[in-house]
Amino acid sequence: MDEGILIARAGHGDEEAFAQLYARHQGPLYRYALHMCPQAADDVVQEAFLAVIQRPDGYDASRGTVAQYLFGIARRQVKRRIGDFHDPPVTDGDGVDENTPLDELIQIDSVARVRAAVDALPPVFREVVVLCDLQEMTYHEAAAIVGCPIGTLRSRLHRGRAQLANRLAAAPAAVGSGRRR
Amino acid sequence: MTVNRDARLRDALRALGRDDAERTAPAHVEAHVIGDIRRLARDRRSRTARRAAALAVAAVVVVATVALIRVRRSERPADAPGVSQEITTAFLPLPYSGVPVSNGAIVRLRVPRAALASFGLLAPDASDAASDATVTADVIVGDDGLARAVRFVRASVHKEQTR
Repeated sequence: MDEGILIARAGHGDEEAFAQLYARHQGPLYRYALHMCPQAADDVVQEAFLAVIQRPDGYDASRGTVAQYLFGIARRQVKRRIGDFHDPPVTDGDGVDENTPLDELIQIDSVARVRAAVDALPPVFREVVVLCDLQEMTYHEAAAIVGCPIGTLRSRLHRGRAQLANRLAAAPAAVGSGRRR
Repeated sequence: MTVNRDARLRDALRALGRDDAERTAPAHVEAHVIGDIRRLARDRRSRTARRAAALAVAAVVVVATVALIRVRRSERPADAPGVSQEITTAFLPLPYSGVPVSNGAIVRLRVPRAALASFGLLAPDASDAASDATVTADVIVGDDGLARAVRFVRASVHKEQTR
């Protein structure tokens, strides 16, 4: 069923429509919220779906997909909690130190360390890394959610990955245990 | 970043993405939202019941008025022959117009003349538009009790000259 109709039905009390909508979108929204605002991830997801049922007319299919609409709401909820995201000025940390043996430090089995490094990134970079690298969205999809031009998104992604590489290479022990919630 | 390092970093991020994919929102999140859906549905049903009752009362008033007019007309000598005709607006969408409907009905009722202004329509005969005046309206009501659209009706009588 068309997702716009699902939103309209869910907004008017159709629990089955809501269940379909929830099953499709709760996972990506929750994972985004966990990386952006782990202490309130449950609330972010809950309030995103509550907004849908309280204001079913808020979704406009001409302005994007339901996923983008839900991420937009979740993003505003995250910002309410951690503040607005700003691009930090370019620093030396935005370039990768070619002398660091990164190949040896980044291993497939070091998921907890990578998780901790991602979660330590500034929100503006963390967000695009989560959307593009972890959730494997296209630049176009991620830019629509973040509300920036694709060029800006690519720049943030490049700087985010560079900072991530440096964090992983520079202080593997200091990154933390990466304990899961 | 060298190609190899870039690929290593991407592999590591993909591994994290795969690990993340197992994470879902706790059950209490869905339960809370479902609870709100039920509460909202209850509120809407209550509002709909009140509206339906108001519509029923209005319909009874309309039927009684029409019956009274017919009785009075039948008691009077016949007027000059004429043709009664209605002029209607197009159906105008109401807030629930976007909700799909499988069956519906058109209900005719009298509504305050001020309702015309809320749709950006000029009140006909504005000079005698008393605050308590009413106009006739046809409302499309879905089988779920939600009103989808309204049109306003104005009676117009064209008398034929026979003399």
